[in-house]
Amino acid sequence: MSPDDVVPDAPATGETSWFCCGSAWGPCGATGHGACGTCNSGSRQCAWPNTSDACFSITRPDRCGEDLLRRTCGHTFFVRNLCRTTEIAVTIADCGPQTDLWCGEQSCCSGSCASNRILDLTPSAFSAIGNLSSGIIPMAVHS
Amino acid sequence: MNSLDRRRFLTRAVLGTATTVVTASALGAVSPEVAIAEPAFEVEPGGIDPNFAEGRITGIKGALLMVSGSDGVLHQIQLTSGTSVWKLRPATIDAAAVGDGLYARGVRLPDGTLAADAVWLNIVNLQVNITSIGKDVLHLDHNGNLIVGHVVAGTTATVYNGTPAVTDLSLLQVGKHVQVLGAWRPDTNEVDLATVFAAA
Repeated sequence: MSPDDVVPDAPATGETSWFCCGSAWGPCGATGHGACGTCNSGSRQCAWPNTSDACFSITRPDRCGEDLLRRTCGHTFFVRNLCRTTEIAVTIADCGPQTDLWCGEQSCCSGSCASNRILDLTPSAFSAIGNLSSGIIPMAVHS
Repeated sequence: MNSLDRRRFLTRAVLGTATTVVTASALGAVSPEVAIAEPAFEVEPGGIDPNFAEGRITGIKGALLMVSGSDGVLHQIQLTSGTSVWKLRPATIDAAAVGDGLYARGVRLPDGTLAADAVWLNIVNLQVNITSIGKDVLHLDHNGNLIVGHVVAGTTATVYNGTPAVTDLSLLQVGKHVQVLGAWRPDTNEVDLATVFAAA
């Protein structure tokens, strides 16, 4: 299956972590504005593993059995922590995470679990639905 | 108290208009997960989040942090006894120091001050490769830059492929990728490790 030939746009569950981008302090200071050139830690944004052929060739979610839609810079996703009701809206600002490095990894909260890293959030977005110090949370995402 | 009620209360409390004097502490200690709950779609997708701030602390006046944002924006962040603080581990508001980096979430008051529900001091979350392992230290490659990760007894834990966190780091291997969550030591390339996430 090619990266463009994907399953219908349905809600998916998976793991999400957070990453810094744009102007930043500490070890994040060397990061740029992401593959889309718009990424900032203080904005409600995300990274998606299938923003382009070049992106997909790095992240390879298919190796974890994930058929993820091709979605490009600026696309809006709606994301919810599996253990919370609040849903936030974020737009794609970068390519990532590198899903195939973490195939089979599972995160749970209160008995709700999800596998595979299919989304990364900026600190602003992640902290709206979870605790930055948890590092990774199970979530549901849809367009 | 739901999240909206809490936010309204916190705003009034910091402004001094609440009937109680004790600001957010009247709510009791709450986890960041509860404290930061927000109504959906309060912020435009992709937009700057007005209830979030990042930057480095340039001054402290009591419980008020003066913060210089990395983008040049100046923030004033009001801490209360109800603010959830993290600095390598859960901490208290007196853990904040000039020079610390931070992320903060709360309620933006009319005067521009951010009344903080949660503050994370020096927190970093990095995808790295392990280049060497020493006694109580991991040498890490972060996009070509060396990071020294310090193992902190009683705090550092490792999560192997999503399994419950353990203090045993013996399964970590040189050459493997990991995600490290920890507290940066300001103005160095060193990080105190809170959690090391390792793949199978």
